[in-house]
Amino acid sequence: MEHRLVLSHSALTPIHVGLHRLQKRISIVIGVLGDWAAFIGAVLILGLGTSWYMIDVGTPLTTQRQGPWIGWTSAGRADADPYTRAHFARLGTLQLTTELALSYVAYTDSNGNRLHSSCDYMVEGREPGTNWWSLTVFNDRGELIANPAQRYDFTSQSIALRPDGTFAVALAREASPGNWLPTSGAGRLALVFTTFDVGAPTLSKPSEERKALPVIRRVQCR
Amino acid sequence: MNIRDKLKNANWQLIVAAPVAAGILHICATMAAPYLTAASAYSRLAPALPLNKMQILGPITPGAEPLPFLSPDARYAMCRFDTARGPVDVSAILPADQGWTLTVVSPQGDNIYATASAPARPTPVAVVLVPSEEHFLGVTPEARGIAREQQPPAAIAAARGIVVLRGPDKGLSYQRQVETALKAARCSARTF
Repeated sequence: MEHRLVLSHSALTPIHVGLHRLQKRISIVIGVLGDWAAFIGAVLILGLGTSWYMIDVGTPLTTQRQGPWIGWTSAGRADADPYTRAHFARLGTLQLTTELALSYVAYTDSNGNRLHSSCDYMVEGREPGTNWWSLTVFNDRGELIANPAQRYDFTSQSIALRPDGTFAVALAREASPGNWLPTSGAGRLALVFTTFDVGAPTLSKPSEERKALPVIRRVQCR
Repeated sequence: MNIRDKLKNANWQLIVAAPVAAGILHICATMAAPYLTAASAYSRLAPALPLNKMQILGPITPGAEPLPFLSPDARYAMCRFDTARGPVDVSAILPADQGWTLTVVSPQGDNIYATASAPARPTPVAVVLVPSEEHFLGVTPEARGIAREQQPPAAIAAARGIVVLRGPDKGLSYQRQVETALKAARCSARTF
C-alpha cells in the first residue's frame, strides 16, 4: 500500500499538476459565471417583467376594474403615476384627463372570454346619468372596423334607449335590429366606453355609487 | 451535497443584490418607457400639424385614424404649439352642449390644462401658453395704466405640445354647427 502511494506520487508530473490546477480554476470560473448569469437573469426577469406587467396590464393601484372593463384612474392627468404615463405613451393614444372623462376598455366579455368577431355579443347597460357618453368598437390594435353601414360607435345622443332608460347594443357581423355595431371580420375586438363626468368625478364617489358599466354577453359563436 | 451545504456555499451577496438591482431596473425601465416609444401620440400627430395654427381634422374613418383608439364620436381641431419664440394665444368658445372639451396636452400626454363645456351656456376659453413661469411677457396693460376691459387669459407654462379642441359628432344634421365652432377656435403666436 505504502509502495503504491509512493508510486502514485512519483507519477504526478508537473504537467499533471498544472492540468489539475487548470481544471480547478476553470470550475471556479464556471461557478462564478453561473452565479452572475443567474443574477443577471433574475434581475432582468424581475425588473423588466414587473415593469412590463404594471405598464401593460395595470394593478389596483393604477386601474379600476369592473367586470371586463378596465379604466386607468389617472389617465391624462398632469399628476399621473409613471405606469399610467408609460401605458398611454406606449399605446400612442391621446387621453382626456380623468377629471373630465373616464375611458374604459374591454377586451373580453363579462365571462372573461376574448371578444372576437366570430361571435355575436349583446352589450346591455343603463345610461350613466345625464352626461355624455359613447361606446366604440375597434379591433385589438385600436383601428376602426370598416363596414358598409359606416357605423363605429353609439353615443348618448345617437343610441335608441328602451322606455326604462336602459340600452342594448348588438355587436355582430350580420345586421341586427336596434342598435347594431358591425364587427365584420376584424378578429379580436376591443370595446371602449367613455363617459363624461364633469363636476362630479366618478372616481371620487364611493364604490356603491359608481355607475354600473354595461354587461357584455356572448350570444353565439360561429 | 445536501441542502444545508448548498445554502452554505450560496453567494448570498448576489442573492441579496438581485432584488435591489431588479428594483432599480424596474424604476429605470418604467421612467424611461414614455421617452423610448417611437409612436407616442405627439410624435404621430406633430408632423401633420402646422406650428401655432389651429387645424380641423377630417372625420375619423377606418384607415384615416390619426391615432389608435381615437373614437369617431367626436370631431377635432388641433394646434401644435411651440413657445420657444414667444407666447401663443389660444381661444375658443365651447358651445352650450355636452361633450365639448379644450385641452392642452404635453408631448408626454399629460393634460396641462383641460376645460369642458356646460349645457346651460357657451363657455369662452382664453389661455396664453408661455415658455416658463419666469418669462418676461412685456409690460401688462395695468402696468401702463390701462384698465383691462375683459378677463385676462389664463397663463399656462408649456414649451411644446398640442391644443386639442374636441366637439361631439352628432351626425350630419349638426355637422355644420360643430365645424363652425371648431373653425372659430384660434391658436396663434403673439407678435411683438
